[in-house]
Formats: sequence, C-alpha cells, structure tokens
Amino acid sequence: MATTFDATQLPVEAERKPSRAAGFLNSFLLRRLLKALFTAFVVITLTFFLIRLLPSNPIELFIQELMVQYSMPYHQARDQAAALFAIDLEKPLILQYFDYLGGLVRGDLGTSILSPGTPVTSFIKRFLPWTVFSVGLALMISFTSGVILGLLMAYRRESLLDHILTVLASVLSAIPNYILGILLIIWLGVRWGVVPVAQMRGSLSPGVQPGFTLAFFQDALFHAALPIAAYVLTTVGSWMLTMKSSTISVLEEDYVTVARAKGLKESRITTAYVGRNAALPLFTLLAISIGFVVGGSVLIETIFQYQGIGYVLLQAVNRRDYVVMQGVFLIITLSVIFANFFADMLYSWLDPRIKFGAAE
Amino acid sequence: MSQADDAFVHHESIFEKPPLSLRNVHIMYKSRKGAVNAVRGVDLDLRAGESLSLIGESGSGKTTLGLGIVRLLVKTAKVTQGEIIYRRDGLEMDVGQLDAQQLREFRWRECSMVFQSALNSFNPVLRIWNQMYDTAKAHGWSDRRAVREHVLNLLRFVQLDAERVIDAYPHELSGGMRQRVLIAMSLLLDPQVLILDEPTTALDILTQRTIIDLLRRLKDEQRLTMLFISHDLAIAAELADRIATMYAGKIVEIGSADDIFYRPRHPYTLGLIRAVPKVIGEFEDLVSILGSPPDLVDLPSGCKFHPRCPFATERCRREEPDLEQVGQDHAAACWHWQAVEEEVADHPLHQSLPAQTIVYSGE
Ligand SMILES: Nc1ncnc2c1ncn2[C@@H]1O[C@H](COP(=O)(O)OP(=O)(O)O)[C@@H](O)[C@H]1O
Ligand code: SF4
Ligand SMILES: [Mg+2]
Repeated sequence: MATTFDATQLPVEAERKPSRAAGFLNSFLLRRLLKALFTAFVVITLTFFLIRLLPSNPIELFIQELMVQYSMPYHQARDQAAALFAIDLEKPLILQYFDYLGGLVRGDLGTSILSPGTPVTSFIKRFLPWTVFSVGLALMISFTSGVILGLLMAYRRESLLDHILTVLASVLSAIPNYILGILLIIWLGVRWGVVPVAQMRGSLSPGVQPGFTLAFFQDALFHAALPIAAYVLTTVGSWMLTMKSSTISVLEEDYVTVARAKGLKESRITTAYVGRNAALPLFTLLAISIGFVVGGSVLIETIFQYQGIGYVLLQAVNRRDYVVMQGVFLIITLSVIFANFFADMLYSWLDPRIKFGAAE
Repeated sequence: MSQADDAFVHHESIFEKPPLSLRNVHIMYKSRKGAVNAVRGVDLDLRAGESLSLIGESGSGKTTLGLGIVRLLVKTAKVTQGEIIYRRDGLEMDVGQLDAQQLREFRWRECSMVFQSALNSFNPVLRIWNQMYDTAKAHGWSDRRAVREHVLNLLRFVQLDAERVIDAYPHELSGGMRQRVLIAMSLLLDPQVLILDEPTTALDILTQRTIIDLLRRLKDEQRLTMLFISHDLAIAAELADRIATMYAGKIVEIGSADDIFYRPRHPYTLGLIRAVPKVIGEFEDLVSILGSPPDLVDLPSGCKFHPRCPFATERCRREEPDLEQVGQDHAAACWHWQAVEEEVADHPLHQSLPAQTIVYSGE
C-alpha cells in the first residue's frame, strides 16, 4: 500500500520553545553570585598564604634598610622597627588569617604595614582609577581596532594588505608588553627623542586638578599615552587574528549567501550579518584579557612610572607590605570575576542562542 | 503587494516570452585537481507561470546552475560561456551584464531563491522580523507597518502561527518551520521567478510532506514561475509541469512531466524512474543505476553517460549527442532514444502514475 498523507489533518505548527522565565533568571543570578564569592574566597586564601611564603618579611627588610642606610646596629634597628609597626608577625599565621577574613567581612582591608595609619582602601581609591582608566581605554581601542582590522583582513583575504597585517599582528602579539614598553622608551624617548618620556611620568602633571575640565583630560591622556600604546600594541594582534579567522568562517555561512541573495546592501551584510556574528566569540575572550591586562599593568606601570594600582603592587611586593599586596590582589581578583560575569551577560545578550546561564 | 500584478500574472503562458532563458551556459570551478566542469552548455527556457523541475543525481550541477542564475557562485567558480536572459513586461536583460547595483535590485525582487540548507539560511542573531524587514528595506520598501502586515500574511499562508513566529529567533523554530519561513520570505517581494533548491531534502518525511503540499498550493495559487531543483523524481513528479534531467552538467532530457514519467527517451531518465520504488514491498522492481557519476574534472569521451549506459555502443564512446526532438515538446540527448522507446514499450514503467501520492524509499 502506498502511504499518503493529508496535510489538512496536520496541526499548524505553533510550538515555540519556552521563553526565558524570570524565576530561572533569578536562580541563575544567585548561583552565579555564589560561585563568584567562592572563587573570591579561594583566591583570597591562596594569596594570603602564598605572599607570606616570599623570602624575608617586611620587618626584616625594613631593619636591613635601616642598617644599610643609617649604619645602625641590628638591635637598634629592630627596636625602631618594633616601635614603628604595630604588627605582630609572631602571631600564628592561622590567627592572622582569621583576623584578615574578619576584617574583610566588615569591609576593612587593613592598614599598610610600611605606611602605618594609611588604610589600604585609600591606596586603592587613589591609584586604582588610573589603572581602570588606562587599561579600560586601551582595551576598548585594542578591541575595536582589532575587530575592524580583522574584518578587513578577512574581506581582503590573500591580498598584500592581509599579508602585511597578518605578519604585523603575529609579531606584535608575540612581544611581551614590558619589553615593548622598554622598546618604546628607548626608541621614542631616547633614540629619536620624539616623545618627552620624562614629562610623561606619573599619572598627572603637578598642579593639574582632577575634574571635568579639558585640561585635566588632556593631561590624563598625555600621561597615559605610553602605557596605553604598550597595552594596545601588544593585544591588538590577537584580536585581529581571532577576528580574521572568525570572519572567514562566518563568510562561508549560508545566511551570508542568503543575505546576498536577498539583495541586501553590502554595508548591512558586513555589519549585521558578518561582523556581528564573527565578533561574538571575541566577547568571551574579552573577560580573560581584562584579567591579563590588569595583571600586566604591574610591569607597564613600573616601566613608565605610571602611578596606578600595578605600580603600588610592585612597591608593596618589593617591601613585602603584605596587607597592601593582599588588598591589590583582592581588587585584581574581583575585577576578573566581575569582567567574566559582565562578558557572560554581554554574550548572552548579543547571542540569542545562548540562554542566560545555559552555558554552565 | 502579493496579488498586485494580476493582469500580468494571468497572461496565457504560451503566448508570453519565457521570463528566464539560459543560453549555452557553462560554469567551471577552479580546484586543486583542475577545472571542474560543473555546468556544460545548458539551454533552458523557464516559461511564464510554469513549474520546471530539474532533477539528477547529486553532483550533476543543479545547485551550481541555480546559483549561477542569481550570480551567487563562489569566487572560484566562473560562468565561462553563455548568457542568462531575464524578461519582464516585455523588457529583457542579460543577468551576466548587470552591475552591482542592478544585480542587487534583481535579486529577490525579480528572482528569489530558497536554498538547500534552510536550517542555516537565517542570521542566528536577528529575529525573523528583522530579517524580513532588512529584505524589504533593501528594496526600498520601508513602511514598517505595511511590511509587517504583509509578512504576517505570508507566514499565515505557509501555515505558521504568524504572530509568534515573526518575533522569534531562528533557533526557536524547528527545521520545517524555518523552511516555511524561508519560503514565506522568498515571496516577500512578489518575485516573478522562484528557484527552490532541494527544499525538502534536509527534512524528515512528515515535514517533507507538508512542505510539498505547501509548494503545490504555492504553484496553484500564486502562479509563480518556479525552478524546482531536486534529486527525487517522485517529488518532482508531484510539483512539476515539465521536468528536465541533468547529467554531468548537461540537460539530457526535457519534456512534460507525463512524457518524462511515461515516455522517457534517455537511458539515464529511465534509470532514475526505475530507481524509484513504486510500491513499498515490491523491491524486485527497484533497479538502481549502476556505477557512479563521472569525474567532472576528467570527463569520459563521447556521451558522458556511456560508462553506465546499458544501451551504449561504439558511437556513444566517440561522439556526444545533443538534445534532439523526440516528440511534441520533448527532447532527449541520446543516439539510441528509439531503443529506449522500444524498451519502455516492452516493459511498461507504471500501472499508474502516483500523481498525488508519494512513495518513500525510506522507512
Ligand atoms: N566550491 C566548489 N569547488 C569545486 N567544485 C565544486 C564546488 N561546488 C561544487 N563543486 C562540484 O561541482 C559539481 C556540481 O555540484 P552541485 O552543483 O552542487 O551539484 P548538485 O546540486 O547537482 O548536487 C560537483 O561535482 C561538485 O563536486
Ligand atoms: S548516447 Fe549512448 S551512452 Fe549516451 S545515453 Fe544514449 S545510448 Fe547511452
Ligand atoms: Mg545540490
């Protein structure tokens, strides 16, 4: 018997997958938050113990400093140090740890060991904005230009421009940022003398007051220019290459052919059909790179004498100021966690196929 | 908009010049192994209001030809010879000569195409509505409310829950639904010609059935000129007024659906018909064509079908036949079509043509 079907008896297809329920969203947010807290806790604990494994300790280093600088005998230096620092390094580590945790819960990050009386939060308030400003701006510049250049490379595949940019991108992304920073100083500042490196030290020129003034922004940009250049140049290459390969595969998607078949304008196809889909995977990398760039700021800020949080961290490490180190690491951890969270939200907002939270 | 050009649509098709004429079209792919001769001199008229089905095994150049018509071939492909003439309202143009802007206007407005892979035909990050509106706007129709109303009507025509589907993302729709949305979208600008490339191939059998019914309704109600590409003769028989058989980049037989089905004159068409199971259970009738399609880089001499042809003679190995008249509005490219005629007379092919019935070779 031949099988026949009568289409009129078939129901009209109406089913649609369930939409995102608000309750689900909430429970997902909660899960996400708990996970973030747990991550933060683990990192805090690890940093606490790891930094104390560094050879020597702040008191020893300070005593040695006094002995070398002022030719003090050991016992005199030690007495002076003990009088200066109201910290008991003899206290069992585990108790110090619980003290620290207790402080954190109360929002107290402690006070600097070596600048007694200065709370760590005031360091953070003073120096973090500069890092956020320079790193954030650099990341935006790098991401945007990487996406545009990568798109261009994919569209002009195998052209001279593509070859030049590919080589450039590969070389740039292979150079560590501190090396590039040193090269910038040597070439731009010293050899060619085109950039007044000495004046660009610090995060603001003396006398410039923070505020919503043009002079302030100009000066801030002037001082951040070299660190930003170093971040951008060392990260833009990988954005370019990732975007290029992503674009090449999107260009082969059927929906791009269909878009052409529909007679859409090339500009619309490039932005809404190719560009948007090709850039999607880059957003997941954005979070990771925020972490790297904040971490990378330690060396860059030291090289350029840019007074951001990385600069503070290196000072603290050199002098074993545990409390400041802890505080800065905490900030870095939180910024990475936040960046991850933000990137996930962004991604699920940009890609409707990713149900918020379904990625877990 | 869909019913606007009534006067135009109701012309008697016989008196009208064909909307689309292919003249000696050759298409070649560059590949590492050498030039792939995917389409080798196709002559074809698509008559106004007709539904012509292009059939042939996978790899015979059907998709290439379809993409060539709307000039969407990949960069490595080239139309090396021939012309594609498009006509409307007594005007005529060579699609191959259009500049970028004219081509953009020609696409979808004059000739739209439903692709083989409907599943991936939609931009995953845009709602159906945005993809529809993009299309309308690209052709200068930017009255949002009118477009939306029209889209809703089209979605209803393809039997979808229009209000819900229009604001859905592609991934929220099943394969069959996406295929219908694509068909609805292909009608958006009321094109004169619609090319459908294997619109049912990727779907399960039940969904295939509903799409075929939809296409038949489309053919009866909208009176479009359709080029329906398929490797499935049974589906072609249901939807086509005329059928063209393609082998190794050439049309080897063309005629009315009845002629092709009851009176095939090319051994390849005959093989295709015999390979269609007529009735489930009678497998002894099932004879598939031996061998495989030829290597399009290094084609056999003479008739390209001769290595697989039971009627082949020495002449077939030397000379390639051209299409010749074998009946009223029926042509075949075979030196020995009379032998095929005798064979068909001796062994009738069908008791009855499964006109409204499709028999599946699957489960
Ligand atoms: N991009 C390509 N590059 C090289 N050869 C191709 C390409 N696309 C298709 N072909 C070849 O062209 C021939 C015809 O393919 P196609 O038009 O897809 O056939 P059909 O649609 O009939 O299955 C096949 O032999 C195929 O291998
Ligand atoms: S020309 Fe010869 S080989 Fe070709 S189909 Fe006819 S009989 Fe077969
Ligand atoms: Mg095909």
